[in-house]
Amino acid sequence: MIYREAGQFKTTYASDQAIFPIRQDRIIAAAAILAAFVVPTAFANDYWLQAVLIPLLIYALAALGLNLLTGYAGQLSLGTGGFMAVGAYSAFKLSTAFPWLSIVAVFLLSGVMAALVGVVFGIPSLRIKGFYLAVATLAAQFFLIWLFNKVAWFTNYASSGTITAPTREVLGVTVSGPTAAPGTRYVVALAFVALFALIAKNLVRGRVGRSWMAIRDRDIAAEIIGVRPLRTKLLAFAISSFYCGVAGAEFVFLYLGSAETLAFDINLSFLVLFMVIIGGLGSVLGSFLGAAFIVLVPIFLTNMPHAVGLNLPVAIQKQIELMVFGGLIIFFLIVEPHGLARLWQITKEKLRLWPFPH
Amino acid sequence: MNSVFQMVVLGPLKDIGSNPAFFGEVVIGGILAGMLYSLVALGFVLIFKASGVFNFAQGVMVLFAALTLVGLIERGAAVWVALAITAVVMILLAFGIERIVLRPLVNQPQIILFMATIGLNFFLEGFGEMVWGANVKKLDVGIPDKSFMAAGMQINQLELSAGAIAAALVIVLAVFFQKTRIGRALRAVADDHEAALSIGIPLKTIWVVVWSVAGLVAIVAGIMWGAKSGVQFSLSLIALKALPVLILGGFESVPGAIVGGLIIGVGEKIGEVYWGPLVGGAIENWFAYVLALAFLLIRPQGLFGEKIIERV
Amino acid sequence: MTANGGPRPLLEVDEVSVRFGALMALTKVSLDIARGEIVAIIGPNGAGKTTLINVISGFYRPYEGHILFDGKDRTHLRPPDVAALGVARTFQNVALFKGMSVLDNIMTGRLLKMHGSFLLDALWWGPARRQELANREVVERLIDFLEIQAIRKTQAGKLPYGLQKRVELARALAAEPALLLLDEPMAGMNVEEKEDMCRFILDVNSEFGTTIALIEHDMGVVMDISHRVAVLDYGRKIADGTPDEVRKAQAVIDAYLGVAHE
Repeated sequence: MIYREAGQFKTTYASDQAIFPIRQDRIIAAAAILAAFVVPTAFANDYWLQAVLIPLLIYALAALGLNLLTGYAGQLSLGTGGFMAVGAYSAFKLSTAFPWLSIVAVFLLSGVMAALVGVVFGIPSLRIKGFYLAVATLAAQFFLIWLFNKVAWFTNYASSGTITAPTREVLGVTVSGPTAAPGTRYVVALAFVALFALIAKNLVRGRVGRSWMAIRDRDIAAEIIGVRPLRTKLLAFAISSFYCGVAGAEFVFLYLGSAETLAFDINLSFLVLFMVIIGGLGSVLGSFLGAAFIVLVPIFLTNMPHAVGLNLPVAIQKQIELMVFGGLIIFFLIVEPHGLARLWQITKEKLRLWPFPH
Repeated sequence: MNSVFQMVVLGPLKDIGSNPAFFGEVVIGGILAGMLYSLVALGFVLIFKASGVFNFAQGVMVLFAALTLVGLIERGAAVWVALAITAVVMILLAFGIERIVLRPLVNQPQIILFMATIGLNFFLEGFGEMVWGANVKKLDVGIPDKSFMAAGMQINQLELSAGAIAAALVIVLAVFFQKTRIGRALRAVADDHEAALSIGIPLKTIWVVVWSVAGLVAIVAGIMWGAKSGVQFSLSLIALKALPVLILGGFESVPGAIVGGLIIGVGEKIGEVYWGPLVGGAIENWFAYVLALAFLLIRPQGLFGEKIIERV
Repeated sequence: MTANGGPRPLLEVDEVSVRFGALMALTKVSLDIARGEIVAIIGPNGAGKTTLINVISGFYRPYEGHILFDGKDRTHLRPPDVAALGVARTFQNVALFKGMSVLDNIMTGRLLKMHGSFLLDALWWGPARRQELANREVVERLIDFLEIQAIRKTQAGKLPYGLQKRVELARALAAEPALLLLDEPMAGMNVEEKEDMCRFILDVNSEFGTTIALIEHDMGVVMDISHRVAVLDYGRKIADGTPDEVRKAQAVIDAYLGVAHE
């Protein structure tokens, strides 16, 4: 390994339970976050920002939310798209009805709306477990999409049925709407996801995370220890939906610009679920890795044939994408069911010992 | 409050009462549609019952079967030849799935296997489209999609035949599972892969058999659905519709798939016809799910599922 | 007040029956456990011992009869409420949270003692942080007590069976219970491990004053460490007294015919 981890002894419990116990890790993490804020804004071109980095951050936030619910609390949910839609439409209604409201407040309030909806659809989780619960969340998904389609009030009676992000500023800089610069939108998305990732990490290493994992691993034993299942599960639904709601609002305001319900359909739910599974269930880092994977693979697949001189019609490319996608998922599940996060851990272990074999 | 009660309960009841023949039609239509759902659900149940895997790709298998059949017929094969070849294709598919997907994932938790079938779903979707093209195809099985009158109600011939075939399939499969040695072995496998292996049950053979049978059921379902609405990619979404059926019937019950299908089919139709107009229509999208959800709250293991007794 | 004028028993099981469908798992079982006692519950397999523990910890509802804890009727409480009263238990099949480390497993045992604002938790700030660290100290003392320091960061699912049982004991103790229910704590252990476990159980009883009820098959252990023994057979209690009394009771010998053990 490049730096020695051995020899750093912890003398207080506080330092033992820090997010980055090793000093060099802390420095690297701080540098990485700083770089994340500065480098792309200064150097990346618009294409990278718009097509890769911004969606990556937004998907990571949604994946983080789903990971909390499914990876830590063990409640399988296929309703992510629906909860993101709640966030998006709430943000739209709030910002058009109260134009003076800061966009940050709008995002947070949309998250709260999504959290409320999430709690309602999480109530069945006390009686229903496993796949059955997944199907209950599907009910949420289909119902919510139908609702936003049917009730024109949500789109402010737009004839096109789409919602469009209005132009809004924060501290004088245009953040959303057609004139917002990709760099600005990137920084806002990064700020949100960094903050919420920190909060998520704090939650899972403490009391709340432990009660979630107890429910996930063995809910009968958890009950006998004193964990109250309904309260714990509903909290998971609430927080997870909050994250997904904010991500949904960002999806429209910071990425797409405008959207219709199709953008939030069941495919989105599956996409985010893949991110969580491939990145690693029960891992904050995994949510980011999974999102990166899912965002980058189609781009890679789209560009690779050109790079090797093959020119395929668009339809065939799409089909190959689907096939490779499906194949990769199966491949990952066989090779490392705990996802990229575990692969990262294993790599670090190997690096520690390198060049010794064991 | 009164007017809501009137709208939701009294209004529809009045409608039903004033035109009982129409209500009968709706119910029968629902029953027959439900049979079609059951056909797809049967495939799920088979695989779940015998290998413990929730096969999300069942819908795509239905589609794939139909695509292959139609594609062969279009290229000039006689119907029986096409059927035979399609059956072989589905069996080969079963072999492939066992070798590439199932064997490496023996004894992983259910959710991992479920995810793998979603991956399979995407793969087959892309593959099917690539091989057979993305256009809607018409499938003609010699049964006219026309209705005849009986007891003052219109009944669709195609749906009726589908219902009969589905019922026959169910009876055969139910007997198979309960009475035969292989059926017992299948139930053992579904319960615990490793334990079954250690008794000497040939896991690989079992899996190939089961997925092949599911594939053949998929062919039947594909034919019925394809004849009714054409062979197109929305067919793979049928899988999603089968889920409420499975919830109601329990994931492991062959008769449950039928009863569940009936309830969902009838419920959906009645809901759409009598309540749909109240809220602007198109409630078919979610009505089945909400119905299933309501059932689940009363009976978390479904109508026919086994009560889960948790041992501490 | 009990018949002999002593203090009220901590736990009173009064004519409790439990049934599953037509099967009577327990029939009118009565058992009193005094504060600070170690009571062993023994009997042939299927006698209903685990069922008795389950009904005490709230997992099963009694079909008839009452259960009083510290004088108050708590027959119909659900497990989380029973845990809140100060009852902790271990399981026959080791119900550890396999995905979590040993430390986290034991920390979950402290959940009932941890209250707090979710918001402060999210920020890892102030009272939330202090509470977390204070609880960590308590847990570390338990880890020292049970001599499992070396494995504290290991994932619980990866531990050998004997150590898992010890971790489970730690998790139960973390709740600082008044009543500790142990379901076959020595199952699958060799002689040395059993001696260690016995030592821990006796220490817990003498140092913390915890009342203990344990199900156990090893008669040597039972005779050595328990103050009283209750014998179940086919869902009924057939003997209740000091180890010596029970050993000589004819009904007990009959029940165990062919299963002589010491």
